[in-house]
Amino acid sequence: MHIDRYERYWLIAVAATLGAFFAALVATLVVFGVSLPSPAGRVDPQNLEASEFAEPNVRNIGGNRYEAHIVARMWQFDAGPEAGSPPKIRLPAGSEITFYLTSRDILHGFQIQYHTINMEVIPGQVSRATVKFDRPGVYQIVCNHYCGAGHAVMYGEVIVE
Amino acid sequence: MQATQVRPAPTAVHFPALDMLRSERNLVGVHIASALIALTVGIFMGPFQAFHRAPAFVNTFLGQIPVFSYYYQAVTVHGVMLALFFTTLFIVGFSYFVTQRSLQRQIKGIQFAWLGYALMVIGLSLMVFTLANDVQRSAVLYTFYPPMIAPAIFYIGLVLLVVGSWIAAFLVFWTYNAWRKEHPGERAPLAVFAIIVNYLMWFISSLAVAIEVLFMLLPASLGWIQTTDPQLARVLFWFFGHPLVYFWLIPAYVSWYTMLPKQAGGRLFSDPLARVAFIMLLLFSIPVGVHHLYADPGVSQVAKFVHAFLTFIVAVPSFMTAFNIGASLEIASRNNGGRGFQGFIFRQRWGDPVVAAQLVGMLLFLAGGITGLMNASAQINITLHNTSWVVGHFHTTLAGGVTMTFFGILYWLLPLLRGRALFSRKVALGQAFTWLVGMVIFGFSMGEAGLNGAPRRADLANSPYMTPEAALWLNGAAIGGMILFVSVALLFVNLIGTLFFSARPVEGDAPIQTKVDIALPAILERWRVWIAIVVVLCAIAWGPVIAEALDFTNGFNAIPYTPSGAPLR
Repeated sequence: MHIDRYERYWLIAVAATLGAFFAALVATLVVFGVSLPSPAGRVDPQNLEASEFAEPNVRNIGGNRYEAHIVARMWQFDAGPEAGSPPKIRLPAGSEITFYLTSRDILHGFQIQYHTINMEVIPGQVSRATVKFDRPGVYQIVCNHYCGAGHAVMYGEVIVE
Repeated sequence: MQATQVRPAPTAVHFPALDMLRSERNLVGVHIASALIALTVGIFMGPFQAFHRAPAFVNTFLGQIPVFSYYYQAVTVHGVMLALFFTTLFIVGFSYFVTQRSLQRQIKGIQFAWLGYALMVIGLSLMVFTLANDVQRSAVLYTFYPPMIAPAIFYIGLVLLVVGSWIAAFLVFWTYNAWRKEHPGERAPLAVFAIIVNYLMWFISSLAVAIEVLFMLLPASLGWIQTTDPQLARVLFWFFGHPLVYFWLIPAYVSWYTMLPKQAGGRLFSDPLARVAFIMLLLFSIPVGVHHLYADPGVSQVAKFVHAFLTFIVAVPSFMTAFNIGASLEIASRNNGGRGFQGFIFRQRWGDPVVAAQLVGMLLFLAGGITGLMNASAQINITLHNTSWVVGHFHTTLAGGVTMTFFGILYWLLPLLRGRALFSRKVALGQAFTWLVGMVIFGFSMGEAGLNGAPRRADLANSPYMTPEAALWLNGAAIGGMILFVSVALLFVNLIGTLFFSARPVEGDAPIQTKVDIALPAILERWRVWIAIVVVLCAIAWGPVIAEALDFTNGFNAIPYTPSGAPLR
């Protein structure tokens, strides 16, 4: 089968470019440790009381490291009584926080504006991701997966001081 | 008439150049007409969503038209009507036309084609009925993820659409087989080759969504089962969801590869490499769907990176297409008197709406393809996932590349169907260029809004998390939507004008290639080999993902809910 000379050059350039792109993804994962959400366990959405989500909360686990367990439901994030509703999570600048989320009812999303954390929240599954807050400011938590009539007011705040 | 007279073989049908056979006009015509009805319903929801999301417009007249205050219902109608019904009906009609014209042979079992059409149109009617009648419960968007469950009629409408398209697929396979028996040793014209690829891919991938709808969603909505597994449903949906976008794209590629070169005044640069590109699309369009699930908790990171890699491979046939079509357009421009290095860009037939519409589609698809590669880049996706960036990307591909090419096809097909020339070439050109401007503004604005934290599919104009930057860009998207609305009005001038007011006779032939005059390797049409490779690739890429998603102990405990927030009864 005849392949034009310039088309061969083009295909080589395309393969090299796409190869470099993929290598960059792998390097980002392996060298810099920027990973995607991956399975972090399962829970029974009808019996969250018997799980790690029985009492949603945000807690310090030593130094500047924090851990949050949050239950999403129509149409709010429950991060425990201390955070309130809608939740306001207060953290000192430089904190690293790992979010654990699950849903009590339907699909929700969890994204924090201007930060690289973005997860689907699915009943039966535990979503987990870690993010670092370097700069002080107020950052909105957005439910970014359609969850019915009240979807656009399902939110929270991270206040970095 | 004597009893001994032999009936002419169906292959002896002569397809007139400037006219249509009655059977052809009826069959293709009803599909296109029904597609245009779905387009009309869906397209009217578009600009009003843009207004409803834009802070500067939401509290004005444009944002407050009462019927469009049902924002999520409007999103559902927009997606279901345009992405599912308009595309499928148009593609089925166009594929019948191209198949029988290219093979110079009538569709086998044409009575079943009418059955398939009837199913799809009943599906369309049921869908319109339930969207209008049960507005609260049917607002599940066109991705219909459980545990949110719509009324049963919603799913029945979808099932009828898909079954109708399966009938169309099998009739094309049947016709092609008959043609092969009648023409031993010959190669199928490129357009038919691509349509076979498209229908094979469509049939294989839609099996997954059929399983999802028939065994999970429909029984739940009928109350036969009380639980569902949302992660498994998302996996099954996206087994189907990515090939779905290629199902829309390949007919546009058929036009770019087999029609546009002639319409632009040249010839196709390389037929064999076009076929290689289509085979690659067949093989690699299905085992890539996990790139829609990068943010899902129930899919392993290994699977996500395997699918990321395969997604970069499925970009190759589109890069091949860019070269091949680019070279074909260069041939055309040199024939048109283009000189020098950049001559091929400008010496195109920009004054011919059929050509201009497709060139506009390509320009938009360029943006769609590049943003698609960004989305595929796993970690970058985390900053884009479920933001309005995705909506910008999606509109430049489907509402840009694909839809503008379909409009370009309409600008020659509709006159052929009607037997009258296009009502106004100037209005058609105006339509194409306003679409380009509107979609560039809309797509860019939605992208920027997404990067500034605006989620997709949210009625967010008055939302507490709106940032000033996102507000600015959402207003920009509304302006883009307004321009697109003007473009739609221009489209309807030509649709109605050509159907009812055009007086001049049709000119120009259907741009169909009937003979293949180059040598091609036989392996390209050994479909069993390709299907076997598809099955193996799917088993490797999807088997572990499905196995991981299956969770009988917990996943099936999720209770079906409705969009209003109540558990399903």
